[in-house]
Amino acid sequence: MATLEQRRAVEELVYRSCLALDAKDWNAFLALCDPAFRYTIAAYSPEVRKDMVWLDHDKAGMTTLFNNLPKHNSDHAPLTRHVTVYTVDVKDGGGEAEAISALQVFKTALDGGATELFAVGRFHDTVRLDGGSGTLVKRTVRLDTRQLGFGYHVPF
Amino acid sequence: MAKSAADWAARPKFPATHYVDSRIYTDQAIFEEEREKLFRPSWIIACHESEIPNPFDYRLFTHPAGVPLIVVRGDDSKVRTFYNICPHRGNTILYDPAGNAKRMTCIFHQWSFDTRGACVDITRAEQGYQDRYGKQDASLREVRTEVAFGGFVWVNIDDAAPGLQEFIGGALDILEPYMQEPMELFHFHRARVRTNFKLWHDTNSEFYHDYLHYFNRITGMMQPGYFERRYTAFPRGHATVGSMQIQYDKYEGSVERAVGWPGLARGGWYMVDVFPGMTYNLRTSVMRIDTSIPLGPNEVLIEFRGLGLKRDTPEERAQRVFDHNMIWGPFGRNLHEDLLGVHGQGRAMREGTDSRWVLQGREENSTIHDEVGMRHYYAEWSRCMGRPAYDPYLEGKPVRAAA
Repeated sequence: MATLEQRRAVEELVYRSCLALDAKDWNAFLALCDPAFRYTIAAYSPEVRKDMVWLDHDKAGMTTLFNNLPKHNSDHAPLTRHVTVYTVDVKDGGGEAEAISALQVFKTALDGGATELFAVGRFHDTVRLDGGSGTLVKRTVRLDTRQLGFGYHVPF
Repeated sequence: MAKSAADWAARPKFPATHYVDSRIYTDQAIFEEEREKLFRPSWIIACHESEIPNPFDYRLFTHPAGVPLIVVRGDDSKVRTFYNICPHRGNTILYDPAGNAKRMTCIFHQWSFDTRGACVDITRAEQGYQDRYGKQDASLREVRTEVAFGGFVWVNIDDAAPGLQEFIGGALDILEPYMQEPMELFHFHRARVRTNFKLWHDTNSEFYHDYLHYFNRITGMMQPGYFERRYTAFPRGHATVGSMQIQYDKYEGSVERAVGWPGLARGGWYMVDVFPGMTYNLRTSVMRIDTSIPLGPNEVLIEFRGLGLKRDTPEERAQRVFDHNMIWGPFGRNLHEDLLGVHGQGRAMREGTDSRWVLQGREENSTIHDEVGMRHYYAEWSRCMGRPAYDPYLEGKPVRAAA
């Protein structure tokens, strides 16, 4: 069971990670990540009855991915991540926590500002706790949404 | 100098085979005709055999002509395909997109069918039908099915259409050496895009749009051999693209693909576009298959499959998945760019936009930036549709006079 302080540290980290990604402030996001950070996007396909991995990088891989983004063509519509931290379980004598959060991603069109629900899923985060703060050691985004349309390849 | 309305409406200064009237991408009547004349008689990839490995495994597929299908591996391991329509009251029989069903039972009135298409139970049959109608009258409608060309399940809903071998001809010969070992699917997703299905096939049929892809420019276009890649056209609208050595390590964060593919030269890449809307894409370590399912003149559902070898070790499979995701995954570097490109075409060609012509005029001796692949496709399209793509309403003159 997490203490209130531990839970608050995890929530603060998860929410700040979303704000950084929403703002496309990749450096701010990476600053929240541990050197051993691992980021994965996964989904289960009922169509082929398989678990699929759609993205899998360590911190260096994520850094390269972010650096390369400007060289690629993308839909520039901003994404807004809405997250609610459901559970926080502390282990390793209080040094690490595992958190499960609900994720909804909304896309807002640049022209006209219409917003649509883009994706839903969950964050499964592993957080290293140090005093009153935390760093992301591992984030697995498990997507329920598997039909993502066109033009976007920025991690959730 | 910019064009006036008259200039914009004037036919391009190319041979008529080198452009198409953009209304073929937006007209509802033409779309309905395409479903009947292009898709209904064609062999279509419904799934891969590895998606239904065991007896009684099934997979649902909506045929591009609109027919809902069940692909099922029978008790005898043979793969068959049936309409997913109950012969009783026309209801859907199976709902889940995949599963294992020894009996396929319609939930509406519990009529039940085996994996060979025979009706095995009609509830309260004697009381209701006496001897006027029985199980022997209530079989499922079977669809011609073949497992071929890399273990893909091909279906044809037209009983009178030519066979699969005749349909494909020699178009897949270039890939045959690389499809000798059993493959296994590891990736599936769909994209729904507001664009015409032909525009997606166009994108797969020309490489001039490599300018869209930073990854392809760096690893391909700027490397030796790129401009020697050649198109070969085959009867029935199919076309292939020859290989080169992709320099994957030229893209930051990418490395030369270590896993490779049996028999394929290092960094090799072959593509085969199958009329009217499928593509085989063997790129060094991964086989990708696209199947387009048009939903309307300006809407298409594209199914993407990624495959490795059935004999892969876990490490080899993980590497193929990584290679696939790098460019072709939903968060990869290339696929979303292609989808963005055809989305833009769909946006510019919608009814009322006054889009007029699509040029396919590049001639470079059938090499990689030649648009012969598209021209070949539309020659077959015109033959099947009985109307030329450059003049689909047989008007023979500019269709919109200058204001």
